[in-house]
Amino acid sequence: MSILEAGTVEQAEAVAVKKFKTRGGSSRRPSHWWVPWAFAAPGLALYGMIIGYPLLRSLQISFYKWAVLPTDASTFIGLDNYTRAFNDPEFWRSMANAGVYLVLTVPITMALGLFFAVLLHAKMPGRTLFRVLFYIPVVTSWVVVSLLFKYLFTTDGGAVNWALTDLLPFNLGPVPWLQSRWSAMIAISVLGIWKSVGWCVVVFLAALGGVGEDQYEAAGLDGANAWKKFWHVTVPGIRATILFVLVLQVIGAFNVFISVILMTNGGPAGQTEVPMSYMYKTAFQFLDFGYAAAMSFILAIVIFIVSFIQFKVFADKDEVKA
Amino acid sequence: MRSTRVLPICAAVAMALTACGTGGSSAAPAEATTLATTAAVSGEVTFWHAYSAGGGEIKALTDVIIPAFEAKYPGTTVTAVQIPDSDMHQKLVTGVAGGALPDVIRSDIVTVPELASLKVLLPLNEAMPDFQTWADKMYPGPLATNLYKGKYYGLPLDTNTKVTLANPSALTAMGITAAPATLKDLAAAGAKYGPQGKYVFAASGAGLWDLSPFIWSNGGDVTNADFTKSAGFLNGPKSVAAIQMLVDLYNEKAIPENILGGTGGVGTGDGFGQGLYPTIVDGPWTYPNAVTSFPELKINATPMFSGDGGSISVVGGEDIVMTQGSKNKDAAAAFIRFMLSDDAQVTMAKAGQLSAVSTLAPQMTKIQPYYEPFLEQLKTAKPRIPTPQYAKINDIVTKAAQSAVQGQVTVQAAMDDAVAQIDPLLAQG
Repeated sequence: MSILEAGTVEQAEAVAVKKFKTRGGSSRRPSHWWVPWAFAAPGLALYGMIIGYPLLRSLQISFYKWAVLPTDASTFIGLDNYTRAFNDPEFWRSMANAGVYLVLTVPITMALGLFFAVLLHAKMPGRTLFRVLFYIPVVTSWVVVSLLFKYLFTTDGGAVNWALTDLLPFNLGPVPWLQSRWSAMIAISVLGIWKSVGWCVVVFLAALGGVGEDQYEAAGLDGANAWKKFWHVTVPGIRATILFVLVLQVIGAFNVFISVILMTNGGPAGQTEVPMSYMYKTAFQFLDFGYAAAMSFILAIVIFIVSFIQFKVFADKDEVKA
Repeated sequence: MRSTRVLPICAAVAMALTACGTGGSSAAPAEATTLATTAAVSGEVTFWHAYSAGGGEIKALTDVIIPAFEAKYPGTTVTAVQIPDSDMHQKLVTGVAGGALPDVIRSDIVTVPELASLKVLLPLNEAMPDFQTWADKMYPGPLATNLYKGKYYGLPLDTNTKVTLANPSALTAMGITAAPATLKDLAAAGAKYGPQGKYVFAASGAGLWDLSPFIWSNGGDVTNADFTKSAGFLNGPKSVAAIQMLVDLYNEKAIPENILGGTGGVGTGDGFGQGLYPTIVDGPWTYPNAVTSFPELKINATPMFSGDGGSISVVGGEDIVMTQGSKNKDAAAAFIRFMLSDDAQVTMAKAGQLSAVSTLAPQMTKIQPYYEPFLEQLKTAKPRIPTPQYAKINDIVTKAAQSAVQGQVTVQAAMDDAVAQIDPLLAQG
């Protein structure tokens, strides 16, 4: 093929390409509106099946006095389930308990996670072993460790009371940890912290690897000590990861469930109920699926608002603009 | 532009919600069913149960009873599905919602009215021509757990009740020669030994399973006779006094914190075996549990602490029920009859399941002598409220009683508040 012929072919291809309508004019992408949807269809179908449909179905259920038996007619009651939730002191107590759990667990978990991540980021013997050890609580069963912590916090003969009274010089007597609201929330929170620190460590370790050594060297040349390096180099360098961990930890705190069910079952007198345990009992023990669905949407809205505020407050302004 | 994108999305959501049915369209009135009593049955019977995994009960079921049934009815097969007791209710609920229930269920007695109200159970007194023959053989308390709105939806498969159990060596260590026999004895022992830092008794919780024997034995009641009203009963003077006695015992530190929900303290069974709790009110399972955990333990069983109402305990156990959706009702009925037969009941009794067939009482005590006080107690034991709202009512009573135990409200105020919540639920039927 001659150069002239080659040029003709290129022109012909260029003409052929022009036959596709392009959005923006500079792209060679085919412009049929359905093409991108076709590529996205498998993913969208999967999303629709496993998330979209159940979500819409539970939204629908939340507007009904829902009949468990499929052949029974459910009664449409509009927003009654939502107004009932707003006037239900037990629901709001469960939300308050989730808030207490959040306040007790998230800051401590993140602080410990970052602390251990910085330590494990340093070059030290056995670093990999320590990383594995810190991650072990994350992969252990919630059920097993919840039962374990329940026994640790047992009033008569529990290891915590033994440590407080026999090992340490506190004459508290046997503390009934799981028999009152606040002490039980502390016990549940201790488990939450123990279980989640390892995950934070791993995520922060990955982020720390992305902070350039040159920045530390530059800070050192400017006379920064270890604390200033941490505060002015490390923290800004992993700011996005801190936000990521914060948002997921907060969402996780609102969704605390297994530890509460197994350590106190919401007792005594429903005082340690959290939203998930209250919803579970409402749906599967009392068969009030409509009300449980309404509570789940209220919880989802609260989580969405809290997450949105976190993004607004903590996100890097430059990144947000970009 | 934005609105043109939003509108189709809203329309799609609306269409999706509309497309999600709300049921009711295919509801069909249950046809009256009469089940054959002849031997000509065949096909598969699915049986859900919560016999303890790894226990002798499952071995008795799968190795003895089911093979014997299949041999008696050639062409039948029984598929037994073991479901952990803690998961059974949720499994049943999802089975109801998904239309995927088995033919026969060994159901906790408190679940039967709930399933009956959902119209998934067959009323056996209408469907089984020989129902009355079987009913007449049962203890009245366990039989009553199957009654819902005038129909019997099952028959008692096994039963139990609670009596006063004493650890004699623990009592001796406290200087007590005989276990308290009456509620007054118990209260007096608590007032004496509680301030000394010694427990005299342990209650495992504050639900109706725990409170009812005290209320009934003290002469009170939870509801009226037809279970339609709790006002004037649960908050009546005798009922309040019974709960007040437990609150007093707690305040005197004569009973442990287990009454606040059963978590955080040494369990009643373990504490009893260890001698921490000299008396408990519990069921026959305490004996086999003690054999493995506390082989040296001697147990003295006496009737439930008596009071002005006598010595009245609470019925526990399981019923056997058939589902409306069973594809093989005749074979399912044959399996129910077989499970209630003397041979099957004796086999299960040997594995630890007390029979509700009163005519088998002499054989029960020969199989396990410790069954005797429980069989005696069963003669007067009462069922809990047979209502589909039982779980909610139990939750209300538990929270009210625990609030009183914690001293947040008086017992009278707690029970007044409880009945105000319970009566609307009872009115729903």
